[in-house]
Amino acid sequence: MAVKAFSNEWARAFKDEVNKSSIYKSAAKGWKWTVGLVVEAEPDKNFPESKGIVMDLYDGEARDVKVGTAADAQTCDFVLTAPYSRWKEVATKQLDATRGMLQGKLKLKGDLPTIVRYTKASQEMTECTTRVPVEWPDEK
Amino acid sequence: MHDASSGRMARRKVKLDVDSRALVEYADDEPSTFASMLGGLIEANVRTRPEKEDDFDSLVARVGIWVTDIDEGVTLDFKGGKLIVHNGLKPRRTLTIRADAETVMSLSNLKIGLLGLPVYYDGVGRGVAAKLLMGKLKVDGLLPNVMTLNAVTRIFSVQ
Repeated sequence: MAVKAFSNEWARAFKDEVNKSSIYKSAAKGWKWTVGLVVEAEPDKNFPESKGIVMDLYDGEARDVKVGTAADAQTCDFVLTAPYSRWKEVATKQLDATRGMLQGKLKLKGDLPTIVRYTKASQEMTECTTRVPVEWPDEK
Repeated sequence: MHDASSGRMARRKVKLDVDSRALVEYADDEPSTFASMLGGLIEANVRTRPEKEDDFDSLVARVGIWVTDIDEGVTLDFKGGKLIVHNGLKPRRTLTIRADAETVMSLSNLKIGLLGLPVYYDGVGRGVAAKLLMGKLKVDGLLPNVMTLNAVTRIFSVQ
């Protein structure tokens, strides 16, 4: 059943997908930093307020994924920021996250060598988002 | 009175610590995201990994990197202890690497093994070697510049 994009239900489904992935588990061995996703508001797309996804990821496991404010997400060790429609492109496989970062479509804050070392884990995490059936607010 | 022009002065080559010198400069007023990322990655590597410093200080080469699936590239102009990053490909390059974004990221994940040579026999290395054989990773100017490529790989590697 589809869940509302970037809702608490979405966060739970996403966490479950990450924890089901053996690829993520092995690729993220040794990862011990928090990751924040800032989803910027786009009122014309029926996404009126920015949201923050705070992910507590540790050694190949998603310990917690919470939806909060953009400010919550900005306190994480690594922060990825993009408008709602860009995140939708990532989650629907129209935009590869690595390419998006290199092009500046997804803005990254955090230690670059660390994020590059875990490229495979971040790619698998993106794959996990694509496996969560989502109800998009601009498609209502 | 001392005549500076007549005498020979003992000169010491002073090597500044990486913490106290600017390592990376950007040639363009607005560096592209890709240029900022590569420059930032190399700077962080050299500042935090002392084993990369010798390569960085001795490397003189102009290396182009073109990412085929985003149609963007940079030129890394290594000037022996300083790197100037240009948006796009500039002329007179020693080497030019052409690959998709994923492969470019894989290059920075190559492990460095014995004698400072990149490891091509583990998972990441085999993937890079396979892409080279399949033509999905192209390195213009490779044959006369293998040592340069190895030095660039060592500086670039985050492993």
